[in-house]
Amino acid sequence: MSIGIRAAIGLNRVAGRVHYRQLKLAAFVSPVLLVLLWGWVSHLQLISPQLLASPLEVASTFQELLASGELQEHLSKSLSRLALGYSLGASIGLLFGILMALSRNVEALCAPLFHAIRQIPTIALIPMFILLLGVDESFKIAIVIKASFFTVALAAYEATRGVSVNYLEVARVYKLPWITLYGKVIIPAIFPPVLTGLRIAFARSWTVLVAAELLVADSGLGQMMQMGRDMFRLDIVLVGVVLTGLIGFVIDRSFKWGEAHLVRWRVA
Amino acid sequence: MNVNVVYRLAILVASVAAFWAFVAQQAVAEEAPKVVRIAVVAYNLAGKTSYMGVDAVNNEGGLEQSLAKKGIKLEWVPASHSGVGPIINEAFANGTIDFAAYGDLPPIILNAAKPVVQLVAPWGSNGNSYLVVPANSTAKSILDLKGKRIALHRGRPWEATFASLAASQELTLKDFKIVNVNPQVGAAALASGTVDGFFSLNDAYNLQDKGVGRIIWSTKTSLTDQKLRGGIWATNDFVNKYPEITQLVVNAYVKTSYWASQEAHRDKYIKDYLSLVQPESVVRRDYENDSVPWKDRWSPVYDGVLTAHYQRLATYAKSSGLIRNDVSVQQLLNPRFVNQALRDLGIEHYWVARSAPPPVNVAQAKN
Repeated sequence: MSIGIRAAIGLNRVAGRVHYRQLKLAAFVSPVLLVLLWGWVSHLQLISPQLLASPLEVASTFQELLASGELQEHLSKSLSRLALGYSLGASIGLLFGILMALSRNVEALCAPLFHAIRQIPTIALIPMFILLLGVDESFKIAIVIKASFFTVALAAYEATRGVSVNYLEVARVYKLPWITLYGKVIIPAIFPPVLTGLRIAFARSWTVLVAAELLVADSGLGQMMQMGRDMFRLDIVLVGVVLTGLIGFVIDRSFKWGEAHLVRWRVA
Repeated sequence: MNVNVVYRLAILVASVAAFWAFVAQQAVAEEAPKVVRIAVVAYNLAGKTSYMGVDAVNNEGGLEQSLAKKGIKLEWVPASHSGVGPIINEAFANGTIDFAAYGDLPPIILNAAKPVVQLVAPWGSNGNSYLVVPANSTAKSILDLKGKRIALHRGRPWEATFASLAASQELTLKDFKIVNVNPQVGAAALASGTVDGFFSLNDAYNLQDKGVGRIIWSTKTSLTDQKLRGGIWATNDFVNKYPEITQLVVNAYVKTSYWASQEAHRDKYIKDYLSLVQPESVVRRDYENDSVPWKDRWSPVYDGVLTAHYQRLATYAKSSGLIRNDVSVQQLLNPRFVNQALRDLGIEHYWVARSAPPPVNVAQAKN
């Protein structure tokens, strides 16, 4: 729910005494509660300790994996795949989306296929990617490119199409040179929705990459979890689960921070 | 956070806790099992899902009937063949099954942290492992694959066989780029030529039939003591609580093995039972020209060969880092029920106990 909607329906009303800082602390309540519940359930052994290790055991497994250097190796593999695939997919998607919105020819040529393919869940394409690209690095990077490209392209396309005709008309009246038109009108106008698209694309890329690594890889966070499962070391799987969530969360928050601080003109 | 929400949350947590307490109490109060739950491998052949060994043990071993006589229901729990070991291990740890037909490396992995299961009825030496290379590959032996990419599902029974094959040429898993994928993905990878080798069970024939792969090695003729030696595993809890029911289940399985092991039933067994889970042509080739005679493949006897096999696997699991603790083979193998079953069926001398083969150097294999 956007802040605007919440404000409109009165959900965001904060009593005078509650300070912003306290609200920030509230964000930690649910994770802490979850960890407490997890610790409680594992302490009572409601679920076999072989299946659900306690938070403390998972923390010590984390340290163990860190000390052996195994974790860093898997993480650096996963993150470099993500960085390469995402930067390629997102930048090509951005250009493609803008182009498709600006050019009727490109739109007529590509839109039907584009909209058809973007509906296919990336995970469903994994077997085909394996057949085409094999099980090596290129496959995993291609999966990330697919996940990020379509989301960013769609966001850029819709954003560009959504630029008000009035802006363009005013620009025409003022006879703005095209460089100013893009630099001062179009790019600032599409920037906020595109940034949101980039953020969503990132989340998709990350989850799809981990899923692909679970299925096929020799390294990476997903593979560490798969191997943990094969070895019946569900504590390792849990380390992977927690890390996947944390990494996703931190990067998502950085994007949000970016949205709030880079898009100054949006701030009401 | 609103007081109302906190209140509702508290009610939710309390009711969940009450539910679990109730469930736990019910489990303790149970005196005799109402149902026996056995996990089996589920295959999907031509769009139809079949459970491996279920029809045979019901029709030839009379399992369902003999349990029904005691008022016990029989429940089959499917485990997809894409990841039998982990699925069954998790089900055992979770207490959702009493028995499982699987093996032989995964139960060792399960028992590494804490003894959970024991082997109550071995299958005999039944499954062959195969090394397949792409049809156009020039590789003739595992030596040609050194440094190449091999699709191998880690932690599955045939991993240890692959390690033995490698060790026989003084290689280890580190000498290959192991791609840890399930057999379905492995087969796709081989078909697309993106791995240089694929190690699995008799699904290897499917690849050969489609013209995408070529089998260059198998346990049919070499390392024959390393065929898959799984069986029926039971939880230690169930065995201690219900030894009579365990005996009943084991009797049914041993009776089925005795029936199937007779040359006269070989054809019927393949046609009526095995062809439900694997194409008949695959099964036939898997069994043809095998250096272990048909009858011996079904031997449930706890002999030196079986003990040595499990000892080798336990040693491998530890040395390769699959497990961290030593696993006691004595704890894993419980011959009591099979010995009784053989007496009950009057076939004590039908199968011959064999002594252990000379040790294979895999025990020293470092991964």
